[in-house]
This record gives sequence, structure tokens and C-alpha cells, in this order.
Amino acid sequence: MRAELKRRSVLAVTVAAVPALAAGCKGVGALGPPPREGPEVAVLRGAIRAENVMIARYRSAMSAAPQLRGTLSPVLSQHEAHLAALRARLIVPAGAPSQPSLSGPVPSGAAAAEPPAGVLARLEAAESAAASALTRRLAGLSPSLAQLLASIAASEASHATLLRAHRDTG
Amino acid sequence: MNRAADAPASAALQVVLAAVNAAIYGYGVAGARLGPGPRAAAQQTWTELQAIRDDLASMLAARGAQPTAARAAYQLPFPVHSPHAAASLAGYLEDRLAAAYLGLVALEDPQLRSWGARQAQACAVRATGWTGRTTAFPGLRL
Repeated sequence: MRAELKRRSVLAVTVAAVPALAAGCKGVGALGPPPREGPEVAVLRGAIRAENVMIARYRSAMSAAPQLRGTLSPVLSQHEAHLAALRARLIVPAGAPSQPSLSGPVPSGAAAAEPPAGVLARLEAAESAAASALTRRLAGLSPSLAQLLASIAASEASHATLLRAHRDTG
Repeated sequence: MNRAADAPASAALQVVLAAVNAAIYGYGVAGARLGPGPRAAAQQTWTELQAIRDDLASMLAARGAQPTAARAAYQLPFPVHSPHAAASLAGYLEDRLAAAYLGLVALEDPQLRSWGARQAQACAVRATGWTGRTTAFPGLRL
């Protein structure tokens, strides 16, 4: 029984090895399809894209309303810390097809000058939406990734509170 | 209910309960040093925390675990003799609470995970109300 199993697995390895040998030096891609990305990778990519969009929003807001720089720049730094922590978790298997872009569509353009209250209100809404979106994606993730995303969502919810306070005190 | 399978949940709930009990004590200390407006906010949180403490006790009892009782007193992280120190204490307590709630997020139980995440957000929001600041990773030490 054991020998039988062993012989079978040797055969399986050989079958797998033949195309690799035949492929010569065509590289890892010639071995066949790369391992499928787990659900965590998709969630991480989504979270990275969302942080990139948020960072672009803050940069654009700071150029539209330079008087808000003092308020917005610490928040921007925290989003950059989120992005770094998320990127550190993303391990892409060798040979996986490269993603077109992790940054996704970004609100762009040299922002025209804008009243601070409007800028703050839009950022506040974006922070609240980002926190809710992350919180909805926790099910099924590994404990440590779920904790990281929950903490980032908490940070974003508190950003919304901070921005609202600045809007109210104007 | 399978108690052995629920041991991690019970342990994480006990950690939250301990943090809630410490925060109830701490908010009591802070409230005494705050001006009228902030004191009302502290009292509201204090009342909410007591309701959460009771919910946690029920959740633990449902898992066959005995809720750990609050201590008579807790060591404060720094002296609290001014409104400013009281607000800092409240911010500190909220970060400790957020850390405990993230312990629930580490569980696989989707309900506890989701509740823990919502509570951690509420803690971060209240902390910002007290300190006027935000942090990148509330409740986490990265």
C-alpha cells in the first residue's frame, strides 16, 4: 500500500516534470498557470488601491486649500503608514500575472482653489466610506490581517471625526 | 455549546471585560477633573461602558465562563490633577479598549469579529474627541 502510494506520487512528479524539462529555459511561466491568488490577496489589493486613492485625494485637497495643510498633513502621513503596512503584507507569487495598476483611478488634476469647508466635507465622507468598506471585508481573513484592517478602519473613522471638528470650528 | 472550542472567544472576551472595567474606573477619575461639557461626555461613555460590561458578562456566561470581577482600584498611567490630564487619560483608556477589541477581531466567529471592529472604531473616534489627534493604527503596536 505504502509502496503503491509512493510509486504513484513519483509518477505524478515525473509527469509534472516533463513539461518543465521540455520547456527548457523559457522561465517560470512555462511551468503552467501560477498558483491562484487567495482571497486575502484580493482584499489586500483592494485596500491598497483605496489607500492610494485616499492619498491622492489629500494631496489634491492640500493644493486646492493650502490653508488646510496643517490639519491635513498628519492625516496624510497616517494614510501613507497604512499603505506601507498593507504593501508589506502583499506577497505576490513569482510568475503571477502583473496587475495593471495598484493605484486605480485617482481623482486627479491640479485642483482649483476651493473653500476649506467643502474640501473637509468631501474628505470626511471619503474617510467614513473607506472605514465602512474595510469593516465589511473582515470575514474569512487571517486574524492578523483582520486586525490590521480593523485598526486602519478605526483610524479612518477617527479621521472623519477630526475633519468634522475642524469644519465645525471652521 | 462546545466550551473547548469557545475557549479562545472566552479568553478574548475576558480581556475586553478587564479593559472595560479599567475604563469604567478611569472615566470615573477623569470625570471628576473635567469641566462641565466634557464631564457630560465622560459620563455618557461611563454609562455606555457599564451596559457593555453587562453584555460581556452575559456573553461569557453563555459560554460557560465566569466573568472576572472588577478590581477595587486601578493604577493610573500618570497623575490626573487637571482637565488636560483627565482628557489624556480618557484618550489612553480608549486606546487600551481598542486593543482589547482587536482581540475579538482575531477570532474567527464573524459576529464577534464584526462587533469588535465596530467597537474599536467607536474607541478611536472617542479618543480623537478627547485628544484632538488621530493615530495610524489605533489599538495596534506595529
